[in-house]
Amino acid sequence: MTTVLEARGIGMTFRNGDEQTQVLQDVDLTLDPGELAALTGASGSGKSTLLSIVGLLLRPTAGTLTIAGERVEALSDAQRDLFRNQRLGFIFQFHHLLPDFTATENVAFPAAAPTGGISPAMRQRARDLLGRVGLGDRMDFPATRLSGGQKQRVAIARALMNHPDLVLADEPTGSLDRVAAGQVLDLMAEMNREDGTTFLICTHDEQVAARCARRISLKDGQVEAGAGGGLAGPMRRRAGPVPPGRQ
Amino acid sequence: MFALTVARRYLFSNPAQTALLIAGVALGVTAFVFITALIKGLAVRLTDDVTASSAHVSLEPMTRVARVLSGPDAKPQAVALVSTFQRRQIRAWRSTEALLRSQPTVSAVSPQISGSAFLVKGEAIAPVAVTALDPLDLDAITPISTQIVRGSSGLGADGILIGVRLAESLGLSAGQPVLFRTDRGIDRLLTVRGVFRTGMQTLDERVAYISIQTARPLFRLPEGVTNIEVKLTDPNDARTFATFLHEATGLRATSWQEKNASLEGGLTAQAQTGTLIQTFSLISVLIGIASALSLSANRRSGEIGIMRAFGVSKTFIATVFVLQGLLIGMIGAGIGCLSGFGLCVWLATLTKPDGSMALPIAPAEGGYVAVFLLTTLGAVLASVIPARSAARLDPLQAIQQ
Ligand SMILES: Nc1ncnc2c1ncn2[C@@H]1O[C@H](COP(=O)(O)OP(=O)(O)O)[C@@H](O)[C@H]1O
Ligand SMILES: [Mg+2]
Repeated sequence: MTTVLEARGIGMTFRNGDEQTQVLQDVDLTLDPGELAALTGASGSGKSTLLSIVGLLLRPTAGTLTIAGERVEALSDAQRDLFRNQRLGFIFQFHHLLPDFTATENVAFPAAAPTGGISPAMRQRARDLLGRVGLGDRMDFPATRLSGGQKQRVAIARALMNHPDLVLADEPTGSLDRVAAGQVLDLMAEMNREDGTTFLICTHDEQVAARCARRISLKDGQVEAGAGGGLAGPMRRRAGPVPPGRQ
Repeated sequence: MFALTVARRYLFSNPAQTALLIAGVALGVTAFVFITALIKGLAVRLTDDVTASSAHVSLEPMTRVARVLSGPDAKPQAVALVSTFQRRQIRAWRSTEALLRSQPTVSAVSPQISGSAFLVKGEAIAPVAVTALDPLDLDAITPISTQIVRGSSGLGADGILIGVRLAESLGLSAGQPVLFRTDRGIDRLLTVRGVFRTGMQTLDERVAYISIQTARPLFRLPEGVTNIEVKLTDPNDARTFATFLHEATGLRATSWQEKNASLEGGLTAQAQTGTLIQTFSLISVLIGIASALSLSANRRSGEIGIMRAFGVSKTFIATVFVLQGLLIGMIGAGIGCLSGFGLCVWLATLTKPDGSMALPIAPAEGGYVAVFLLTTLGAVLASVIPARSAARLDPLQAIQQ
């Protein structure tokens, strides 16, 4: 079985004029299908930067990246757009729902934009996902009329719309209260379990990290020994073969 | 097309703001339409005033100019003097008149004798410019009979029509005799048959009409005429027709435009002023659209960033903004054309106390198609800048804001 993510020797140095900031150095990271992994580390340790690189929103200054079997360095900007659309899902700290669209339309948007409209099949898929995140009774609500936790649940459904190989979540509970954060976390774990979708959740919250089967720690721009790469750590859980009917 | 759906949602997202923006566009377009219709109306009125009461093409003998004849060594050898032994006249005027009447574009022809004379009444004496014409065709060029304020327009054999100011200065009125003395030194007693008022001071003071038969002995022109005045069905043909006539007859042919060069200059200046105002109203419309869309792109940077993150293409984002510009431009231009037309139609109904139009506006000539296309195209161009900046937004920065 191919890995979902294979990052080798990732380095990131930001340049602002003469000033250089090395944020990541020689990071190796491998994710197998169906993993639920937490990316932890102190604030400023480079979690978001690594997530953006893996999410093809930022080009690293060193290293190679293979996602779902495809080497992505050579992709043009437009091909990267399409790759993100087809293969990746995103959940950010702030939901960034489109305020002029309903919950269903927000969820269907990633499928609709490249194809020219929301087809009945897309609408159905969006509604199914909303049902699964517990918003079956809010499907036609405008995004602005949902609570913070509900919005983040819509964002989870949106991230899953195009059946991504990998969902990247950057502090997904960072702006939610305990209860809502718990629900959001439960949902991600549930989706991971039921669909076998791979999640990489970056967080500085111990509660969140504890819920994940695997934990990768960043410190000073490097993966802490024993936690990452292809090495089996104590928190590591090898995903078994995906049960039939789950994909 | 999904981008159109998004563009529409964005516009409906803040209906009041969108309505205001469209109202601004419509206002600019209304101003454009008004100015266009007014300038066109003014031009039509001014040219109508001129072409309704004067000849469209005038034929005269060529002027003869004293010429210096150069010798082979380029030194002046002799001067060819203008012969003053011949009267300047059109002898073959009957054939010229026949040629003119055979032209389908000609609506009226008037062979005339024009000359100078004095009107003498007691000790008072006044110079007049005399137009002698066929009394049956009195109104062919200028509608004189409609301008008679006293007496009648029937000239007869010894009649004369004079302007109202001339009548006042000589103390003359209809039915009175007056001594007519031509520049050939011939006197004859004529009767004032009618007094006219054109409204043009110089004409009312200086012009007199008599019958061409009466004029022949008085100006010693037993056969010829001095000029032939022509009216055309379409005054705009005057220039080309004058060229044709000159080539066909060898006579000097002057179009009304040539005679009224200052009118032409005035109309051109007016049209240029109009273009300037039109340009500025369009530019202000386009600046309004560009700035409104830039603000919108700025306000929506977060959602644009997330769309880019989940893989919506730059082209899609740019299209959403260009479509917003297109919709605003088209709707605003449409409303502006309608309201501009309404305004012009209403202004055209306003009259001065004497019943004439208060504003010489031509509602049909508002340049509707041009302003609609220009505004729509301009709106698209104006939205390109905000569209590009929205499409180029770095998703990372936008999301982290
Ligand atoms: N565009 C950038 N230019 C310069 N430095 C940056 C840029 N983006 C992030 N950094 C720096 O990289 C470091 C890691 O940032 P980040 O990945 O956001 O950390 P985390 O998400 O772990 O809190 C920080 O010190 C931050 O200042
Ligand atoms: Mg971060």
